[in-house]
Amino acid sequence: MESDPSDKSYPITPKEQDPKEDGGSSPVSRSHGADQREGWVTSQVERNDEDEGKKDQEKIETSETAEEKADDVDPEVHYSLEKALEDIDKLATILSSTNNENDSPEIPEYVGRLMDFVEAEVAGYCTNLGEGKAKWSQDAEVNSFLEIVDRISKLATVLVPCKCREKFASLINQVGKIQQQALSFLEDEFRVLLDECRPIDLEKEGSVKSKQESTEESDQSIEEGDSFGYANDIMSSLNKMAKEMVSCGYESECCQVYIVTRRNSFEELFNMFGFENISIDDVQKIQWEALEREIVKWIKTFKQCALVYFYQELRLAEAVFAGYPSIATHLFYNLTRSMLIQILNFSEAVALSSKRSAEKLFKFLDMYETLRDTTSAMDRYFKDEDNASQLKTEINTAKSRIGEAIVSMFRDLENSIKSDTGKNPVPGGAVHPLTSYTINYLKYASEYTETLEQVFKEHLKIERADSNNRTEFQGENNQNNSEKESSPFSIQLTRVMDLLDANLEAKSKLYKDVSLSFIFMMNNGRYILQKVKGSAEINELMGNNWRRKKSSELRQYHKNYQRETWSKVLGCFRDEGLNVHGKVSKPELKERFKTFNAMFEEIHKTQSAWIVKDEQLQSELRVSIAAVVIPAYRSFLGRHWQHFTAGRQSEKYVKYQPEDLETYIDEFFDGTPATTGRRKQ
Amino acid sequence: MPATEYQGSFLGRISIRRNQVVSMDGPHEQELEDLDLFQRNIADRFSELLPSSSPLPPPPPPADGAGEGDPSGPAPASADAPFLSVAWLRKLLDVFLCCEAEFKAFLIMGRERDPSVIAKAPLDRLLPELLDRAVKALDVCNAVMHGVDAVRHCQKLSEIAVAALEQQPIGEGQARRAKKALGSMMTVLAAEDKESSGHKSTERTWSFGRRGSSAGANKDRSAAVQFRTLSWGVSKNWSASKQIQAMSANLAMPRGAEASGLALPVYIMGAITVFVMSALVAAIPCQERTGLAMHLQVPKQFTWAQPMTALQEKIGEEWKRKEKRGAAGLMEEVQRMERLGQALAEFADSFQFPSEGERAEEAVARAAELAETCRKMEEGLVPLQMQIREVFHRIVRSRSEVLDVLDQAGKLSAPTM
Repeated sequence: MESDPSDKSYPITPKEQDPKEDGGSSPVSRSHGADQREGWVTSQVERNDEDEGKKDQEKIETSETAEEKADDVDPEVHYSLEKALEDIDKLATILSSTNNENDSPEIPEYVGRLMDFVEAEVAGYCTNLGEGKAKWSQDAEVNSFLEIVDRISKLATVLVPCKCREKFASLINQVGKIQQQALSFLEDEFRVLLDECRPIDLEKEGSVKSKQESTEESDQSIEEGDSFGYANDIMSSLNKMAKEMVSCGYESECCQVYIVTRRNSFEELFNMFGFENISIDDVQKIQWEALEREIVKWIKTFKQCALVYFYQELRLAEAVFAGYPSIATHLFYNLTRSMLIQILNFSEAVALSSKRSAEKLFKFLDMYETLRDTTSAMDRYFKDEDNASQLKTEINTAKSRIGEAIVSMFRDLENSIKSDTGKNPVPGGAVHPLTSYTINYLKYASEYTETLEQVFKEHLKIERADSNNRTEFQGENNQNNSEKESSPFSIQLTRVMDLLDANLEAKSKLYKDVSLSFIFMMNNGRYILQKVKGSAEINELMGNNWRRKKSSELRQYHKNYQRETWSKVLGCFRDEGLNVHGKVSKPELKERFKTFNAMFEEIHKTQSAWIVKDEQLQSELRVSIAAVVIPAYRSFLGRHWQHFTAGRQSEKYVKYQPEDLETYIDEFFDGTPATTGRRKQ
Repeated sequence: MPATEYQGSFLGRISIRRNQVVSMDGPHEQELEDLDLFQRNIADRFSELLPSSSPLPPPPPPADGAGEGDPSGPAPASADAPFLSVAWLRKLLDVFLCCEAEFKAFLIMGRERDPSVIAKAPLDRLLPELLDRAVKALDVCNAVMHGVDAVRHCQKLSEIAVAALEQQPIGEGQARRAKKALGSMMTVLAAEDKESSGHKSTERTWSFGRRGSSAGANKDRSAAVQFRTLSWGVSKNWSASKQIQAMSANLAMPRGAEASGLALPVYIMGAITVFVMSALVAAIPCQERTGLAMHLQVPKQFTWAQPMTALQEKIGEEWKRKEKRGAAGLMEEVQRMERLGQALAEFADSFQFPSEGERAEEAVARAAELAETCRKMEEGLVPLQMQIREVFHRIVRSRSEVLDVLDQAGKLSAPTM
C-alpha cells in the first residue's frame, strides 16, 4: 500500500481536464463554487461553496499539478493512510473512554491535520474511483477507501452520543462532512453500478468466468453468483457498497436507489419483450388481431419473469444485501409485487373485454395455462409466507378471471347456438355451418381438455360458494350423478351437443320434404359422430353411451328416410289390386309402370340434387336403396314382362332395366341436379 | 369501521326482503322506500367526509410551519382524518365500497322484481355505459396505485432528511445529506407537474454508455431516473383528466319516465364513481391531470347532492390553489411534505456551521413536523394502496356480475325456440 497520498489526489488525467480548461475560465475562478457543479469535486460530492472555498481551492489546485501539490502538501502533511487510520482509532478510543464523564478530554493537536488529511484523502478517492477506472471488487484503492469510511463512521458513532458536543462541535462537523461526502459518493456509484449490471449473456459466460477467477476476494454468499446470471465481481462490489451504506446508517438511501434502479431495469426488460402498458380502457378498444399479438408478448413476459427474472431478482437482492436478509426480502417483494401487478393488469384487462367471442378462447386458454403452470416455479422462490401468499392471491385472482371469461365464452357459444334460428334451410340437406362450426370448435377446445376440466371445476366451486343456499338442491342432484360430477367439462360438452341437437331438430323442420329432413339429420348426425370419433379427447369425453345413442339415432333416420321415400314406390310392385278375376289387369299394370317411372324419375331428379358429402354414408344410402328397390323391381318386371307386347309397348312402359336403376341410384345425393330424360338420350 | 355496519344493515334488509314474497306489500312502494334509504345512506356518508368547519382557512404562509404540526393545512374533516389526508382518502374509499355494495343489491333486487326491465330502455343503454365507466375507473385505480408508489418514494426520501436533521447539532454533513434527499424528492414531485403539462420527452434519453464521462452526468441521470417514477406502469399517452372527463361525459340525470326504477340508482352510482375517482386523481400524483374538472353537476333535489357538491367545491378550490403553487397532489401529507421539504431544503442549502438561533430552531421544528407527516404516511399509504386494489377488484367483480345480469336478460328477451 503506498503511503504517499499524492497518487490518489492526482486523479485527473490531463486529457480529461482539457475540456474544462477550454471552457474559458481561469484556474482560480474554476476553483470557486460556481464551476464545481460540473467539475470533478462536486460531481462526486456536493460541496458547500462558501465555507469550503478555501479548502477546496487548495485541493483542486493540488490536484491540478503534481509539482504544486508536492510542494504544498507534502511538507505539511506527514500522514500516511496507515498512520491516519491508526490515529483515528486512537482518537475514537480516547473519546469513547471519556464518553460518560463530564471531564472532557482535550482534543489532541494532531486531529486538525488528521482530519484535513482524511478529508482530502476521501475527496481524492471519490474522484479517482468515480472516474470509472475502479473495479470495485478488485481495486486495492477501494479497500482503503472503504476502510477510511469505516473508521470515520466509527468515529462518528462515538462522537454523536458524546456529552461534550460543544467542545467537539467542529470535529463532529468535519467528521460528519467527510462521512457524508464518502457515502453520497457511494450512493451515486451504487446507482451507476447497479444500473449497468446486467445478467451475463450465457454465451459469453466462459470469458467472464476467467475474469472472475482472478477476483481477489470472494464472498461466500456470492460465490454461486454466476449460476444466476450476474458476474461475481459486480455482485461483490455492490454488496460491499451496500454493506457500507447500511452499516453507516444510509440504509434508506441504499434501498431507494435500489428500488428505483431495479424498477427501471424491469421497465427495460418489459420493453425488450415488447410488453407495453396499455390502459385497460384501450385494451377494450383494440382489434382482436392486434390484441392477440399483445397476448403473445404478455405470455412470453409473464413466463420469463416467473421462471427466470423474478428468481434472478431474488438472487440479486440476496447477493447485493448479503448479510441483511430482511432488507433483501423486503426489497424483493416490494419490487416483485409492483411488477407482478403491472403484468397481471394486462390479463385482467383482457379478461374484461366485453366483446368476447368464441374464437378468442384459445388465446385465453394459453393465458390461463401460463398463469397456472408458472405457479409451481414461483413456489420455489416465493418463500416468505405473508408476502408470497399475497402475490399468489393476485395470480390466482387473475387466473380465475381468465377462467371465468373462458366459462362465459362457452355460455356465449350456447347462446349463439340457441339464437341461430335462421328460417332458410341449407340446400340439399347438407351439413349446416352451425354444426361444422360448433363441432370443430369443440374439437379444438378438447385439445385443452385438461385445462378446461380445471376451469369448469373452479367455476363450479365459485358458483357454489356464491350461492350455496340457493343451489343446495342442485348440489344434491349433481351428487347423484357422480360420474358426470367428476368431469365438469364433459357436462359442458354434452350440454352444447344437446343444444346443437335441439337446434338441428328445429332446423330439420324447415324442410318441406320430410325425406330431406331425415337426410339433413343424417348428414349432420354423421358429421358430428365422425368428428367426435376422430378426436381422441372429445371421443373419450362424450363416452360410449353417447356414441351408441347417436348411432342408433342415425339408423333410425335412415329407416325413416327409406320408409318416407320408398314405401310408396314399393307399393307399385304389390300384387294386390293388380289381379282382376285371377287375371292381371293390363291397364292397371300399365298404370303401375307409369306410376313407378314417374315416381322414380321425380325422386331421382330431386334426390340427386340432395347432398351427402360423407362418402360412406352416401354409398350406404345408395346401397340400401338399391337393395330395396332393385330386387323388388326385378321380380315385378320378371313376373309381368310377358304381359306387354315386345317392342313399342314394352318400351313405352318399361322404361328402366334393373341395371338402369342402379346407375340412377348411384347419382343420388350427388348435389348435382340431373334429369333422367337427358340421360336416356 | 362504520362502513361495514352500514353495509350490513342495508344488505341485511334487502336479503330479508328477497326471501319474502315480493309482491305482498306493493313492489313499487317498497322500491321507493329502498331508493330513499339508499340515498339517505349516501348523504350521511358524504356528510361525514365534509370538513367540520365550512369555510376553509387561508393556506398558511410557509413560515408558520413550526408549531403543533396539525391544523395548518386544510380544515380537518374530523380530528383523526383531516380533509384530503391519507386517513380521509381511506374513508372516502370505504364510502365508495359501501355505496357500491348497496347499489349492487339494488340492481339485483330490481331485476328480481322485473327481470325484463334490464333489457329495456333506458337500462339497455345505461348499464353498458356503467360498465364502460367501470373499466375507466380501473385505469384510474391503477394510475393512483402507482402515484402512491411515488408518494412512498418521496416519503422515504423525506425520512432520510428527517433522520439527518434530527441530529444535534446539525453539521454540514447532515445538511448536505438532507439537501440531497430533499432535492431528489422535489425532483420527483416537480416531475409530476412537468408531466402534467405534457413534457415527457426526456424518457430514456438518459441511458447513455458506461459511467458518463463526468459524474455530473450521474446527477442528471438520477434525476431523470426519478423523473420517470410517475409514469411507471401507466400507458404512455394515458391522461387522468381525460379519463375523468370521459367517465362523466355520458352521465346524465334520468328524466321523466326514465327516472323511475333502476335508472336513478345507476345514475347515482355513476356520480359517486366519477366523484371518488376525480378526488383520488386530485389528491394523488398521477399522470397528466391538466384541466382536471371537479364540477360534476348533480341536481340539487337529492339529499346526497349537497354534501357531494360541497366536497367537490372544496377539492376544486384546493385544486385551483394547487395549480398556482404547483403542488404534486392535494393529499394533505403530500402538500405538507412539499412545503416542509422546500423550506428545509432552503435551510440546508444555506447552512453554515455552526448553526444556531432562530433558523436552526425553526428547522428542528419543521423536521419534527415532517417526521410526524412521514409517520402518518408510513401508517396509511400501504393500507391505502391495498384499499385501492380492493376497489379495483371489487369493480371488476361487480362488472362481471352486471354482465351476468345482462346475459340473463338477453336470454329472456331472445326468442325462444
